[in-house]
Amino acid sequence: MSLIVGLPALLALLLIGLWAAAALDTAIGRLIVGRPVGMAATDPLRAVVADYLRQRTDTEAPDHLNWLLAPGYYFLLAVVGLALVPFAPDQSLIALDTSVVLWGAAEAVVVVAVFLHGWSPNAPFPLIGAYRYVAIGLPVMLLSMFVLIAASIPAQSLDLRAVVESQRGLWNVIRQPLGLPLFLAVVMSLTLRGPFDYADSADLAGGTSAEDGGPRWIAWQTARAAMLVAACAIAATAFLGGYLGPVLPGWLWLSLKTLAVMVAVVLLTHLVPRMPVAQMLTLIWIVLLPIAFLDLLIAGLGAL
Amino acid sequence: MTMTDVAFYLLSGFAIWTGWRVFRVDSMIRATFLLLLSFTSVGLIGLLLSASYLGAATIFMMAVEMMVMGLFMVMFMMNPAGLNPMMMVHQHRLSIVAGLLIFAAMTGAVLLTPLPSDPVAADRPVLRDLGIELLGDSMLIFETAGVTLLATMLGAVVLSSRRGRFGPTDAGSVPPGLSAGGPPAGRQPKGGGSHGGHGGHGGHGGQGGKGAHDGHGGGGSHGGHGKNGGDGNHGGHGG
Amino acid sequence: MGMSWARAFAASGPPPVFAAIGAGGLQRAEELHGTLRLQRSPRQAAILLVLGEIAPDLLPFLQRLHDHLPHPRATIWHRATPPGDWTDPVQATADGLERTLTDLWRSILSGDRASEPDFLPDKPPNEWRGVGPHGQGGKGMMGGTPYGRPMAMTDDDLRDGLSLDAYSAPFGPFLPMLPPGLILDLTLQGDVIQSATATRPPCPQPGSDDRPGDAIARLMRVMDMPALALRRTRDGLPPAMGIAMLRRAIPDGLGRARDGTDVRDRLDRWRDKDAPQADDGTRLSDLLPGLEWHEAMIVLNSFQPDRIRAICARSGPEGGDEDDKDGNRDAPAHAPPDHGGHQHHDMTGPAA
Repeated sequence: MSLIVGLPALLALLLIGLWAAAALDTAIGRLIVGRPVGMAATDPLRAVVADYLRQRTDTEAPDHLNWLLAPGYYFLLAVVGLALVPFAPDQSLIALDTSVVLWGAAEAVVVVAVFLHGWSPNAPFPLIGAYRYVAIGLPVMLLSMFVLIAASIPAQSLDLRAVVESQRGLWNVIRQPLGLPLFLAVVMSLTLRGPFDYADSADLAGGTSAEDGGPRWIAWQTARAAMLVAACAIAATAFLGGYLGPVLPGWLWLSLKTLAVMVAVVLLTHLVPRMPVAQMLTLIWIVLLPIAFLDLLIAGLGAL
Repeated sequence: MTMTDVAFYLLSGFAIWTGWRVFRVDSMIRATFLLLLSFTSVGLIGLLLSASYLGAATIFMMAVEMMVMGLFMVMFMMNPAGLNPMMMVHQHRLSIVAGLLIFAAMTGAVLLTPLPSDPVAADRPVLRDLGIELLGDSMLIFETAGVTLLATMLGAVVLSSRRGRFGPTDAGSVPPGLSAGGPPAGRQPKGGGSHGGHGGHGGHGGQGGKGAHDGHGGGGSHGGHGKNGGDGNHGGHGG
Repeated sequence: MGMSWARAFAASGPPPVFAAIGAGGLQRAEELHGTLRLQRSPRQAAILLVLGEIAPDLLPFLQRLHDHLPHPRATIWHRATPPGDWTDPVQATADGLERTLTDLWRSILSGDRASEPDFLPDKPPNEWRGVGPHGQGGKGMMGGTPYGRPMAMTDDDLRDGLSLDAYSAPFGPFLPMLPPGLILDLTLQGDVIQSATATRPPCPQPGSDDRPGDAIARLMRVMDMPALALRRTRDGLPPAMGIAMLRRAIPDGLGRARDGTDVRDRLDRWRDKDAPQADDGTRLSDLLPGLEWHEAMIVLNSFQPDRIRAICARSGPEGGDEDDKDGNRDAPAHAPPDHGGHQHHDMTGPAA
């Protein structure tokens, strides 16, 4: 796919996805509370504009460069992730035969970006959020490695394009049922949401974003929403068949599937509480990781 | 000069520059992540060389390793944010000269050696070949290395665990005495034991006596957390 | 003054508000969570909503909190009396709050009402510019006070034999996840609490004890279920499935008080709407040391307002004032010596 066609298409999809993520968050939040949804589609936009117009605040002696760039790193990783997703047979912006590994690398650098975002303000709550997140984010990444490798086994390739093609007969969510739930946990960790939100949590008064005012806040939230779109697109590609589907064009199927995964993630965000760190670590290493091994075993047995 | 050449020169220059910056910045976190940037550039060069798995895996591994290294530095090193500028190098001038000489020698060696021109065929299944090598001819090496590393990790976790066989390890489980009921055998740790603390990272005390950090074996001298009684002499804060 | 299109668009949405809760304001704050956009940090708010009477010793903290809000900003006093030296206070009546908020938001965005100026001077509390050989207050490799704060020195970790940096700072009094009015002096190693004292107990909240639904909602909010916290079933509590999930996420045996109840037991008492338990002599030093931050917040939010007041009143600093610490943003960074004095004898009841 050429850059001239692909990059604008990608940015267009990303913008729509950003707006959808914000609207979904607001709408689902209000639905759960039981209030009328109201202007959930435009209220986030109003908040964005309002925050952009306000003053950018600073703390004393922060790491200015990294504070400024951390949302940029996060956003760049989301763009890289979305660029790996194939929109049509053999068409993805980054055509690499190891795209699964590159996505894994992007996940790893997300942890770095979130840590830098919490390190930079030179304040206690952001710093606690940052290193707490590292303790959880790194093992959660292991889960994604195993389930994505399991998804790659029927394709006999680490290329996401081949992974999609291998689902022509049966989607991976059906023949590897453990994969998608585990990957949803990874998505929640990557986008700092719900039960895996140890970085930007309410018990730390906003965590790594506690000192972010005005434009900084908007930059970080935009990057988070972009990562939600990218990670859900990868989930739709690896487990739900990507662009495969009758009647409608491939990119439309991909968008619908991405939207469905986003709805699932936002619902889980609002409905599942967050455990203390020690309990979550135990859960990941002792329960979820063996389940990931089981998923890999199922995939391997299926390939025999 | 194709796009690949331009990309190669840009990435190489960036890798060298960030590598140099690692040693020039004061903040340890910045140094760690500058090193990550350097490794990332090398990984991207790997992608250019058709070693796509190695390149992507390099970025992946280095991101995780640098993150863990950064975190451990913040936990255990003194002055991790570089708030006070530090000079942690010995024989500064000599090391600069040695570094430049080695750089010149290696660059000369690379540029003057006739390297082979052996481009990888475009349709060569590089990843498949790598997989067959890993699990075929070199299986013994990689599998034993993997199991050894796993055993090392488990051993390290067990060794550092607080729960020992006879109770908590810091409750003073000691070897039995040489005579029945006698004092425990072996060397007694001084005072509270584990306060090697900030002085213990060997050789950062170009100033301030190195011997001074033995002085707070009294253990209880940590009154006033956050109060820094030391003025340059980091051993003396127990007073 | 005409508003640009962007400002008009922004002004038509709900304003971001940060609630500073004083004595008697907790119940109202719980009601307002459902209707207003209450933020988790003052940096993300434009309007400071003061709910409930602010005691005189808390006014300097309120002023510092006010200065944290980015421009353009304004303050609304609701069920509270603004002090004499607060410039141009805006007060809202019980049912006029939403209207006042919308009007105020529109006027500060359009520039009709000037943004409120800072109360405190924008200088570091511990002057570091030009001090010391490096020009930022530090001396040597770890000495002095670089940028005004001494470097944290290592201390034994509670959980294993390591030696980690100990960081002491006061937290509160307007932190949204702590009981309002509480100033906690904590020594943290990482996010594990080494020691905790309450230099000021929380403000009294009459009538909040018999509202178990609100108490469960606070706990849910600390564990990041803000939407479920606002939904109420017919008996005034959040949905039963939400409470069940909350219960499962809280570890067993956490926050065991002297009467043997842990957080799960107290949550069950709220869910079954039992009578609130009497005080039993628990102190913060029984509950908090050794807990990491998330667990500590859960424990602090698992008590009814009166009970946590009694616990904190019993956990004051032992003997003399705490040392002045250069602190974080929610704390008295440079409390002059005589200021520390009257935090002391107000333990039994700050004047409303």
